[in-house]
Amino acid sequence: MKDKKILVCDDDQGILEMLELLLEEDGYQVVLEPNSVNALRSIERESPDIVLLDIWMPMISGDQILRSLRDNPKVSSTPVLMYSASTDGKNIAESCGADSYISKPFDLAVMLEEIERLLQE
Amino acid sequence: MGKENHINTKKINTPLDLDVLYKVLDASVTGIVITDNLLPDNPIIYCNPAFEEISGYTRSEIIGHNCRFLQGKDRNQPERKAISTALASGESCRVEIRNYTKKGKLFYNELYISPVKGENGQITHFIGIQNDVSSRRRTQQELELVQEETERKVEERTRMYKESQEYLSSIVETIRESLVVMDKDYKVLSANNHFLNTFKVSINETKGKLLYDLGNGQWNIPELKKMMEEILPTNNPVLDYEVEHDFPHIGKKLMLLNAHRIELEGRYKDWILLAIEDITDQRALQQRKDDFLSIASHELKTPLTTIVGYMQLMNRMMPENASDKFKGVVEKTGKYIQRLNQLLSELLDVSRIQTGNITLHREEFDFDKMVAETIESIRAATPSRKISLTGKIGRNFNGDESHLIQVVSNLLSNAIKYSADNTKIEVRVSSISDFIKVSVEDKGMGISEDELNKVFDRFYRVGEVQKHYPGMGIGLYLCQQIITNHGGTIWAESQKNTGSTFSFTLPMY
Ligand SMILES: Cc1cc2nc3c(=O)[nH]c(=O)nc-3n(C[C@H](O)[C@H](O)[C@H](O)COP(=O)(O)O)c2cc1C
Repeated sequence: MKDKKILVCDDDQGILEMLELLLEEDGYQVVLEPNSVNALRSIERESPDIVLLDIWMPMISGDQILRSLRDNPKVSSTPVLMYSASTDGKNIAESCGADSYISKPFDLAVMLEEIERLLQE
Repeated sequence: MGKENHINTKKINTPLDLDVLYKVLDASVTGIVITDNLLPDNPIIYCNPAFEEISGYTRSEIIGHNCRFLQGKDRNQPERKAISTALASGESCRVEIRNYTKKGKLFYNELYISPVKGENGQITHFIGIQNDVSSRRRTQQELELVQEETERKVEERTRMYKESQEYLSSIVETIRESLVVMDKDYKVLSANNHFLNTFKVSINETKGKLLYDLGNGQWNIPELKKMMEEILPTNNPVLDYEVEHDFPHIGKKLMLLNAHRIELEGRYKDWILLAIEDITDQRALQQRKDDFLSIASHELKTPLTTIVGYMQLMNRMMPENASDKFKGVVEKTGKYIQRLNQLLSELLDVSRIQTGNITLHREEFDFDKMVAETIESIRAATPSRKISLTGKIGRNFNGDESHLIQVVSNLLSNAIKYSADNTKIEVRVSSISDFIKVSVEDKGMGISEDELNKVFDRFYRVGEVQKHYPGMGIGLYLCQQIITNHGGTIWAESQKNTGSTFSFTLPMY
């Protein structure tokens, strides 16, 4: 279970590092992707068990990435957990087909629970 | 008076007993004196009782005096000169002169003086006939006064009218709003300078023209036209109607229009006053401010998320043997990070609400459970406080649960903040007709009457509390926005030093 691979895509280095620490602490294998433009390619290459995806990113936003991910048969079934600080985040996440959504700043316990739940499904 | 005089002069020509003549004079109601011009200083040799009556002096005080004694100290009268001139040239005269009675009372003496010539043409006597015309004069003066007053009033009115005209037109010209007056056919009767300057048109291009023909038909907007056409028949004004339009000369502008039927002295005229305000800059500024708020709070949330994450990791990674002191420090840090997060969320919400963007995500939820859980989480954060809950709805409510949680917890944390630790807080939930009602009551310091209606204002905090509890004070403003967006109402009742009750209602259907 804990050998699962998680890919995190966020333009903020601080959040990436923090999540890396948290997730590795919990026994996950973590891949970080700070550049939204590379997100889809990274997902294809790494084929993670779950993707954590920020919505508000420069160049390509999270919802755009998710839409193209769902259109890509190679990775379309990967569970995606989206997060954002925006109050619209929940709506955006639902409309583009995210499997789960949490708002920033997140409760790590909740996030870990959600990850576990998505992995079990 | 003229009558006796007449008789006298007529009779004087006929030979008559002097005694009879004096009797006639004595009987006269007009004052009569005779002076002897051949004696030094022209003394009075005869006065009739009427003269005594008028002057208040007795005959013995009169005979032998020059008549000037009646003038008292009031000697600087032009009439005096007129008399002496007439006397010197032996002519008769008529004056109205100020005289004083023995008691010093002023009276206006209408005085006739006629010379009496002797056989050789020499003036031997003068006859003076006096009439107290004070009352006549008074009436006349009063009349003149009334006349003067009337004239003054008329002048004043005219001046006031002119002034108010000027006053009005100075307002009309100074005001930073474009004003246009139209007749019932929407033909422009006048336009102020601000209008002309704003739309870069001349008065000739404007006056007498139809509103809808002005400036390439820039006001020919069907919706506006419809509203304008209803003003006169229905008296319904056009209020705060926004027009965005690409105007000739000035480009794309956002204008706020207000139009009313003109009322003069309580009567409606078939004229329309149209006020046009350029709110382009104002709106842009507001937008920029909202954007700033929303970007700022959004940007701040990202590093905060990281901090919150590390905070939680610190707790997770807390060594078994960590000291209580250290654990306390970590806990405190967490608490204040939470507070910072709360403030940021509020800021973000305010900026969204400002732009009218508050979006409710309505879903059925268990209202009673929501209230109970919110109280539970507040209890967990402040275990020392007693919070009681009474009543329930017993059914689901369709609304935005997370926003309503925000309202309940906001009211609760206010109650906690503004009341002493050992006092109780009561939450009451009830269903009244087709409304849900929730009240949160504290036994705290209370809010004064004049502050009470301000507590829901944005960034307002109850005066004294401000110093002790720093923060933005947007919580209640948000609560109000959330409740009104649900179609409900929120209000506060309070008594200074007794406590406050904040309540809200929500329509169930
Ligand atoms: C017959 C006669 C009657 C007069 N009656 C009055 C009088 O009633 N009141 C008055 O002020 N002067 C009266 N005068 C005028 C004064 O006696 C006096 O002539 C006048 O004040 C001018 O002189 P003066 O400048 O020396 O005072 C009368 C004069 C004459 C001759």
